[in-house]
Amino acid sequence: MRASVSTIAAIATPPGGGRRAVIRLSGPRALELGRETCRFAAENALSRRGAWRGRFHDGVGEQPVLALAMPGPRSFTGEDVLELHLVGSPPLVAAALARLVALGAELARPGEFTRRAFESGRIDLSRAEGVLALVEAESDSERRAAAELCFGGLGKRLEALRESLLDLRVLCEASLDFDEADTGHVPLEELVERGERVRAALEEALGWERRRTRRGGAPRIVLAGAPNAGKSTLFNALTGSRAIVSDVAGTTRDALVAPWVVAGVPCELVDTAGLSADFASGPDGHAQRFAKAEHEAADLVLRVCDAREAPPEHLPPRELLVRARCDLAQGPVGGPGVAVSAVTGSGLAELERAVAQALWLQPASGVARELGERHVAALEHARERLDEALALARARGPLDLVAEALRAALERLDEIEGHASPEDLLDRIFARFCIGK
Amino acid sequence: MDPRPEATHAHATPPAHLGARVLVIGGGHAGIEAALAAARLGVQVALVTMRADRIGEMSCNPAIGGLGKGQLVREIDALGGAMGLAADATGIQFKVLGTGKGVAAQGPRCQSDRHLYREHVTALVRAQPGLEVLESTVDGLLVSERGGAPAVVGVRLGDGRELRGSAVVITTGTFLRAVMHTGESQSTGGRIGEGTSGGISADLARLGLALGRLKTGTPPRLAHDSIDWDLTQAQPGDERPQPFSFATQREQFPRLRQVLCHLTHTTPRTHELIRANIHRAPMYAGRIQGVGPRYCPSVEDKVMRFADKEQHPVFLEPEGLTTEVVYVNGVSTSLPAEVQHEFLRTIPGLERARFLREGYAVEYDFVLPSQLDRTFATRAVAGLFLAGQINGTSGYEEAGAQGLIAGANAALWTLGRAPLVLARDEAYIGVLVDDLVVAQPTEPYRMFTSRAEYRLLLRSDNADKRLVPKAAELGLAGKEAVERLERRLARQAGALALLRALRSSAHGGKTLEEVLRRPEIELAGLVAATPELAALELSHDELASLECDVKYAGYVARELEQVARLRRQETLEIPRDLDYSQLRGLANEARARLSAVRPRTLGQAARIAGVRPPDVALLAIHVQRARGNA
Repeated sequence: MRASVSTIAAIATPPGGGRRAVIRLSGPRALELGRETCRFAAENALSRRGAWRGRFHDGVGEQPVLALAMPGPRSFTGEDVLELHLVGSPPLVAAALARLVALGAELARPGEFTRRAFESGRIDLSRAEGVLALVEAESDSERRAAAELCFGGLGKRLEALRESLLDLRVLCEASLDFDEADTGHVPLEELVERGERVRAALEEALGWERRRTRRGGAPRIVLAGAPNAGKSTLFNALTGSRAIVSDVAGTTRDALVAPWVVAGVPCELVDTAGLSADFASGPDGHAQRFAKAEHEAADLVLRVCDAREAPPEHLPPRELLVRARCDLAQGPVGGPGVAVSAVTGSGLAELERAVAQALWLQPASGVARELGERHVAALEHARERLDEALALARARGPLDLVAEALRAALERLDEIEGHASPEDLLDRIFARFCIGK
Repeated sequence: MDPRPEATHAHATPPAHLGARVLVIGGGHAGIEAALAAARLGVQVALVTMRADRIGEMSCNPAIGGLGKGQLVREIDALGGAMGLAADATGIQFKVLGTGKGVAAQGPRCQSDRHLYREHVTALVRAQPGLEVLESTVDGLLVSERGGAPAVVGVRLGDGRELRGSAVVITTGTFLRAVMHTGESQSTGGRIGEGTSGGISADLARLGLALGRLKTGTPPRLAHDSIDWDLTQAQPGDERPQPFSFATQREQFPRLRQVLCHLTHTTPRTHELIRANIHRAPMYAGRIQGVGPRYCPSVEDKVMRFADKEQHPVFLEPEGLTTEVVYVNGVSTSLPAEVQHEFLRTIPGLERARFLREGYAVEYDFVLPSQLDRTFATRAVAGLFLAGQINGTSGYEEAGAQGLIAGANAALWTLGRAPLVLARDEAYIGVLVDDLVVAQPTEPYRMFTSRAEYRLLLRSDNADKRLVPKAAELGLAGKEAVERLERRLARQAGALALLRALRSSAHGGKTLEEVLRRPEIELAGLVAATPELAALELSHDELASLECDVKYAGYVARELEQVARLRRQETLEIPRDLDYSQLRGLANEARARLSAVRPRTLGQAARIAGVRPPDVALLAIHVQRARGNA
């Protein structure tokens, strides 16, 4: 491959005012451009890996700069990299970047640093994607989600999953390639049992990945509870809407949706019909079915009950208990859940915090969402193949077909990261079993 | 997947004055197949061997085939080779391994009468027109310059004579600088009672070929009448023995009386004795530098590495019908003789065993096979081909397969014809070749079914379908083989048509084909219940193959999709002169591995350990860009 001759530059901190702004340069001229634009106290500035203080000249005036030099190949991109930490004033930063471009730097295209890092073999595909998402993240919470991907959240999960799937394959392949006397014959039942455990882990990863992807869109929070528990009143208080409220149980039939900003993240709040055995037929019956569907599709269900009544003993996961109308209760509301009053506004801020915490609100950027979809597809395909392997094994079908399905499952996972060569497989077999006559 | 990348040989064909003569050095399993294949393609062949009475010797265990290996034998047979026929003619126990694990995992295996096997193979070699056998050692290679590159023009024999040839196939097995170890004692030689070939080793190194060192071992041999057979467990062969060769007459099979093998096991006392003497084993005392195979470990390795196992199986295999020699499979060892005597007596049934020969380890030179192309021609020297254990492999079947490919290609090259290159989705032999030329072996290479990603396509039952047409086109297989295949396929097609036409009322009116797809349904049962099918009188082979075609159809289709998907990667050729040190962005490990192996295609690059997907992606970008610029 031809050495890339260009030196790229970009503002590495999010747009808008911050205390500090960073311009990053990468390429053969990165350090040279630093010397041309900055005046340092130290004579040996930028001569090696390190940080130097000095002043940056943008052609008009000058500003203080902290320059971090990372000569290649031991840098993020594998090229010479220079980071200029400047005061976070948008006009000054823009002037500095313009100066660098005037001296020959090229404006980096989105993700170009990451691409260079990937091409120089400094990072693998999954990490590259994480970094890309990080770069393009638009808010702090987005950056947290991207960081999770980047620093091994997904990587670790996949690695563990891949390991257990590979183990399963090793058992299967060892049974195929060696005598039972060698490998200590693994019964099909054990294969199935282990397979089911892997499947459960796969399912969990899939759920995690799906939730992560969905957070790219607005999280859906659904109000649920017995009829006339005060859901709509709470809905109006939280969203500023005007749903019809009355003391007649079953007033709300159609689900109402309104935007609700939680901890700075736009969410959707859904008001549904109260669930009751009294409304099993007619239009109310329809409303009940819709309500149930909404509950199932929700990222979080707010289980609303009257503060004066005893709270439910058991809450399913993904549900948060809300004790409504606490203003009508005698004294402070004890027990679990968040006590709120739509009338006095008490507890509403607390509820918002609890929701943010429960949902782990980290909406991903467009890039991260797209990645997520790719991962979900790969995980789903892997699960499909694993199911096939399990079905075959349960039916005591031929082991070579079970092995083939497992191979295909692993191959799907490997589409995300890494690959297992036949040599890897044999290494594992030899490490575990005493093979050979 | 596509022989195109090597459609032209790396070197120009030899000048006419050398004559169309292929020299094969070595009369082992690789040498035999090499000589026979070359002769069948119509060139003169001289097979030079140290001992003409040892052609086709089974140096280690008296068995052919097994898991992954039986498939190789069937492929050798489909390509016109001798191994399958010889095994069928001399087998004294036949057993298909891996039954119950699925058709693609099954590998036929047999115990052979060692003596008769050698006789049978020697007779095949003697009967082959155009093939002469020369008993002599070989001292070195005759090499001249041609077009600025070294080219082999013959060999120098032990008595100083020169033997000229257009191509040389070296198949010297474990005989290159071979050292045998038994405990503290060492002797030179590749097999008990025979010498070593040091001259060739030195010449190969002089020609710039990198050599490595490997180790293999063999167990003790015992006298039949000294074993207490009642204390062992009898292991019969299959009730209905199946031959290897598609050509073997089913009516006259098996030809020889069938015998039993026996099973016993090591005991805690055996392990104790081995542990107490472990410092006297050459591997543990550091006297052997070569690396032994993990899949065929010595008994001392088993005991040391798997300390928690209380016993290891020991198989007692007869070496023939008329010999008293019993091969003790499972206790390969290079411990001192007296330790071997002592520990073997702790094994049930062997308490009074009389040794006919102690076990020993052999250490030998091999050529790093990444210096070969997929025809087994060396890249460094025109006309020089290598096959068998010299390429770092183990096993008769692996050797025979390589011999056939190297011999055929030596002849094709001599004749100026297109080479024979098999792809990974065509044959286990294709997998073997492809693995070897990108391998950096640290132990002798042997075949496993898990090495073949297209295992469901490469079954032993369809080896003829996969390879006979190609063999016939080249001239390796005759008209009878093609006719036999066509007959079989026609009969199977007839039966399949019936399966599709007939419906089963017991299964809700489904066609028999649909019924057969269910795991619990067997074709034999359907045939028994369906007079129309029974009337076709399908043979065992035909039934098995048809059953497999139907049951595996869906999975095979998926593998074929995968083949198509990867075909582009497999055919994307990497320029021979690519300088990986100039390729920006490769991870260091990948750079080192790629520079050492020099893969021919992107597919090969992807299979190299240490080369990660980003490296392959990078390489792909580069190769495509280089093409775009060209």
